[in-house]
Amino acid sequence: MTSEARKTIIIAVGGVSFCLLPWGAVLFGEHYLISLFTRILIYALAAVSLDLLIGYGGLISLGHAAFVGVGGYITAIFFHHSFEGELIAGIVPGSENALLVWPLAVLGAAGFALVIGSLSLRTSGMHFIMITLAFAQMLYYFAVGLEKYGGDDGLSLYSRNQLGGMDLGSDMQFYFVCLFFLVLFLFLSDRLVKSRFGLVLRGASSSGRRINALGIPGRNYKLVCFVIGGAGAGLAGALLVNQTEYVSPGLLHWTMSGELMVMVLLGGLGSLFGPVLGAAVYLLLEETLAMYTEHWMVYLGPILIIAVLFAKRGLFGLLTRRE
Amino acid sequence: MADYILQVKNLYKSFGAVEASSELCLSVERGHIHALIGPNGAGKTTVLNLLSGELKPDSGTILLNGERIDGLPAHKRAKAGLGRSFQITSIFENLSVSENMALAILAGEGHNYRFWRNSMRTGAVERGLADALARVDLTASSSQLAANLSHGEKRQLEVGMALVGKPQLLMLDEPMAGQGAGGTVELKKLIRSLKGYTTILLVEHDMDVVFSLADQISVIVYGHCIASGSPEQIRRDPEVQHAYLGEQ
Repeated sequence: MTSEARKTIIIAVGGVSFCLLPWGAVLFGEHYLISLFTRILIYALAAVSLDLLIGYGGLISLGHAAFVGVGGYITAIFFHHSFEGELIAGIVPGSENALLVWPLAVLGAAGFALVIGSLSLRTSGMHFIMITLAFAQMLYYFAVGLEKYGGDDGLSLYSRNQLGGMDLGSDMQFYFVCLFFLVLFLFLSDRLVKSRFGLVLRGASSSGRRINALGIPGRNYKLVCFVIGGAGAGLAGALLVNQTEYVSPGLLHWTMSGELMVMVLLGGLGSLFGPVLGAAVYLLLEETLAMYTEHWMVYLGPILIIAVLFAKRGLFGLLTRRE
Repeated sequence: MADYILQVKNLYKSFGAVEASSELCLSVERGHIHALIGPNGAGKTTVLNLLSGELKPDSGTILLNGERIDGLPAHKRAKAGLGRSFQITSIFENLSVSENMALAILAGEGHNYRFWRNSMRTGAVERGLADALARVDLTASSSQLAANLSHGEKRQLEVGMALVGKPQLLMLDEPMAGQGAGGTVELKKLIRSLKGYTTILLVEHDMDVVFSLADQISVIVYGHCIASGSPEQIRRDPEVQHAYLGEQ
């Protein structure tokens, strides 16, 4: 079987499993599985958006949590002000409407990505890693300093956003909303990396010199990629805040960026679908190990090292490898 | 009056105390294969980098078709008609051969902020890809990953990519470096076949290649151009013999 055919089968099986999972959970009375897998879907969305940066743009960003955080905080702040019935900064009214707030979260994250990206892209390699990390940590401490929104402790929301005629409070419905956005983002990203833009992007990450010699300003394409990745992470942030009905500076912490990067590496760099698998495996491992010991990280570490050592193209690469 | 495609006047560039290029003048006639030779460290690659815009000259002017290009960044100079291959082959290793070529084709097709359609199904690619691959004899290996090509094939691909944009001046930086005897013959044939298609500025160490291909030769020593002329003139020039050829 060719590697393309294997890939199609794995994606199909994965897709069907994700669709059937909530009903399976209800059938077996394991309702918590729905919220666990909602979390997986959201992290997968953030990991896929990071894969666009690392796997296709060659942009090793250790600050991706910043955009998750921006999306999350925008959602939470609008919710909070709507709940309290006061204007944001005395000008804008708050809102609980997902159709308004989620696009704002996406645009806000994209805006931050534009600023951070255009500054960070003046560097490359190790410097790029450090400067993205520095920006994300800066925003983290800024969030810690937001006394009005709970500072260090974060902010509780009491309920979820409203989306048309749907009841996002229902875990089942919220699960499918998250699944919809993950599938949509995967589909668009897949088109993106195969498009002219994607070809230029992959070229620029392979040889920046060569792409300039062809008359293409490679850095601009990388910046657009950085912004698109940031937008995806912003959406993930908005969804995550809705799921937990809580926002805290932890969303922006570098450990969040690190976790996302591990999911991408574990699943398979530059494969888009791999990071979904990576997110699922990572969070399920975390969940399972945590049942047995509170020092689950001691066990998770070696497992990840082994996985990355022996599957250079990640779990997805392992599964789609040609025989 | 000869028709010069490239005119370089008083180009000066120093790295600290080292003058990599000093008061360099160079004129390349349209349609010629113009070779740039000189001992190791004479500053030949520096000249190419100054021309292509990877380095900024400290002073001096560069005219392409009579227009000043010395203030333009590298990618704009490429658009203006300067193509180049590098001393160390630089193709897109993680893309396939046809993707490499497609990228070269799309580079000349306006902006590439198109996010939806598959790049390989763009009109320009569908029209030009087969010819572009055939021109450098890579049709058979089109679906291979560029990283897996032989050294000679990589060089062919690189030259092929530089040709796609129909550059008015193609700069080749030591195309024969690292080639076996067979590769050298193939590449010589390829370069000769490009005559009439474009003007070529060739930096090369292999004197057989230079003297058999070039219409004009300029000799660079310590960033100066000490002589310029036909292969015959260069062969006879006593200063060149002293500075360069005699030492070999």
